[in-house]
Amino acid sequence: MTDNLRRKRAPGRGTRAGRPLRAGRARKHDLRRRGIVDEYTTWIDRRIPHIEILDTEALELIEHNADTVLEEIGIEFRGFPRALKLWKDAGADVDGERVRFPRGLCRSLVQATAPSEYTQHARNPKRSTIIGGDRTVLVPAYGSPFVHDLDRGRRYATIEDFRNFVKLTYMSPGLHHSGGTVCEPVDLPVNKRHFDMVYSHIRYTDKPFMGSVTHPERAEDTVAMVKLLFGEDFVPLKTVLTSLINVNSPLTFDATMLGAATIYAENNQATVISPFLLAGAMSPVTIAGSLTQILAEALAGMAYIQLVHPGAPVVFGSFAAAVSMQSGAPTFGTPEPSLVLYGVGQLARRLGVPFRSGGGLCAAKLPDAQAAYESANTLQTAAMAGVNFMLHTAGWLEGGLAMGYEKFILDVDQANMIAVLLRGVDLSENAQALDALREVGPGSHFLGAAHTLENFETAFYRSTVADNNSFEQWQQDGSLDAAQRANGIWKQMLKDYEPPKLDPAIHEELLAFIERRKSEFEDRDY
Amino acid sequence: MAMEHAAVLEEEDIVLSELDDGELVEQMHEDLYDGLREEIVEGTSILLERNWGAEKVLNEALVEGMRIVGIDFRDGILFVPEVLLAANAMKGGMEILRPLLSETGVKPIGKMVIGTVKGDIHDIGKNLVGMMLEGAGFEVFDIGINNSVEDYFEAMEKHRPDILGMSALLTTTMPYMKVVIDEMVKQNIRDDYIVLVGGAPLNEEFGRAVGADGYCRDAAQAADVAPAMVRTRRLGAAVNG
Repeated sequence: MTDNLRRKRAPGRGTRAGRPLRAGRARKHDLRRRGIVDEYTTWIDRRIPHIEILDTEALELIEHNADTVLEEIGIEFRGFPRALKLWKDAGADVDGERVRFPRGLCRSLVQATAPSEYTQHARNPKRSTIIGGDRTVLVPAYGSPFVHDLDRGRRYATIEDFRNFVKLTYMSPGLHHSGGTVCEPVDLPVNKRHFDMVYSHIRYTDKPFMGSVTHPERAEDTVAMVKLLFGEDFVPLKTVLTSLINVNSPLTFDATMLGAATIYAENNQATVISPFLLAGAMSPVTIAGSLTQILAEALAGMAYIQLVHPGAPVVFGSFAAAVSMQSGAPTFGTPEPSLVLYGVGQLARRLGVPFRSGGGLCAAKLPDAQAAYESANTLQTAAMAGVNFMLHTAGWLEGGLAMGYEKFILDVDQANMIAVLLRGVDLSENAQALDALREVGPGSHFLGAAHTLENFETAFYRSTVADNNSFEQWQQDGSLDAAQRANGIWKQMLKDYEPPKLDPAIHEELLAFIERRKSEFEDRDY
Repeated sequence: MAMEHAAVLEEEDIVLSELDDGELVEQMHEDLYDGLREEIVEGTSILLERNWGAEKVLNEALVEGMRIVGIDFRDGILFVPEVLLAANAMKGGMEILRPLLSETGVKPIGKMVIGTVKGDIHDIGKNLVGMMLEGAGFEVFDIGINNSVEDYFEAMEKHRPDILGMSALLTTTMPYMKVVIDEMVKQNIRDDYIVLVGGAPLNEEFGRAVGADGYCRDAAQAADVAPAMVRTRRLGAAVNG
């Protein structure tokens, strides 16, 4: 927004009410096409209350039951002796790989040292974000082996697709974070693809991003690369990565995830500890049972991080869907996981750590009606439940098996709407609009009122995809459905994309590091 | 509501040994459908006592019963937990029949070694496949999670299965299937086995690319495909041999 516009919008500035702005055609073209999302939004400030579905008694019951699970059943820490030693020293009962925790131990470890919010620095300081509190950070989808678009259908993702989604995310002001495995580049060897993925997040965007978690060594490579980018002194002090650590629910952490989590924690980098529940298969079929399991698993994981490095940022994650009891397939956008999500939000706030969940989740194979309503359900729920770090905001299809180009564009539009919704109701003098009501009075209309002229440009969210025209106009425009319109949009965005500047010296160093590391060992597919 | 359901589902007192052969087989189909393991074990024993051959019990009572279960699972009438119960009941009957079948030299429906590949500890889908195949009368040797080439080879050597099944949930572990199959080719044993692969991040194209004989999208399909592939292969062997 220009100063001119801002001055004009401010009430009581002495400008003649209703006087048109001298902007000219070119500038108006530019302004109108961009939509209302500011270029440098680094999070959404929430100004409306959370939806809270559990009362204090209910929350205490879940917390009590989670402690019972931790004390009586325990959690397995598999193939990672170091974790067992840390737990033993912390006073837990270690039996083989099973760890049982005295009541309250995990909670007290988390509450003693885990920050309630933290800054994740981006290489462009203007893009640095804060995760936690009353903020919501929107992040693209993560982890799909396949990609989907209208032209080529469903196919395995490649590094080119990966770069494309990094670029599209960079070009989407509503997304505050570049994400991590925006799709899995299966064309590259398993043991080296992390170099190209992390490089893409450094080179093609300047938003904050996530690190590799598929092997402790790959986490170490990630840390080495961000040290080159941010400086050796900066990284252990500041957090520049937020990485995803999934629980092998039920009640199990594996060596891969523990190894990566440990590397990140030691380097003061953030981890999102995410119980991964497909209820019915990986957790009980009830909402209360799932909440109990999620809390127990997340507490154990976050407490472990605090044992490794007290004060390392942790996010309470939750991925909870339900399986179809008829087929075993995961389902999305249904009411029970929404109830779980609201509940976990409350549990996370009571614990005092940032909360990750949500996204535009769906089981649909195409960017169709099912995709739209399932994703709208989960996005809205996540927003209202108070998610701080919203992974899977854009692109998710088919239970996460595919990253959709058109779906991405449709989701970004929805995500932008959430930003407006969460900002709540403006009650300034201008927003109260008594002048407008006085000017127009009974009958007549507001379309030409001075107040309307001063406010119309930013008054309402303008969808980037929806078609609200007359039937005839829509027909003249080619009778396109939403996915077809989105198809044109992502292609245009990739055409318009220009990479953010990167210090050539740092760029050289990074490339040299990648080349050296890649030459140090053979390509392997495991 | 609960009362009404209870009334509908009220059990009749059936004494299996009092039924004639035809009624008993029909009742066993019903009991398989309901996942009643003890009743299936009992029915299997009664038929054997009545001098039914093990192969006839297997085909007419058990396999036919599971075929009906399969149809209703496919059509969404039976739910996953019920199918697992049915498979478990079938397994109960098979445990009695298996030694008798091998004594009489009847070829088993099939044997399978199944396991999740190295680096991957996800096993829910793999377990479902194992149970469904047991439900189809297979002898299944589940070698668990995180299996190296050596683990698979050892199990194949030990159990001499018709089918090797490999599973992965992660995009970073699924390429290991090719490592196993390449080693089988190298050691000249690839053609001794049918190799089936499965897991969420796979597809047909991937199955072909790694050199598997088939990709199974879910457990129900695996239970359909596996017996057919074993039959075809044995026919082929008979013709060629």
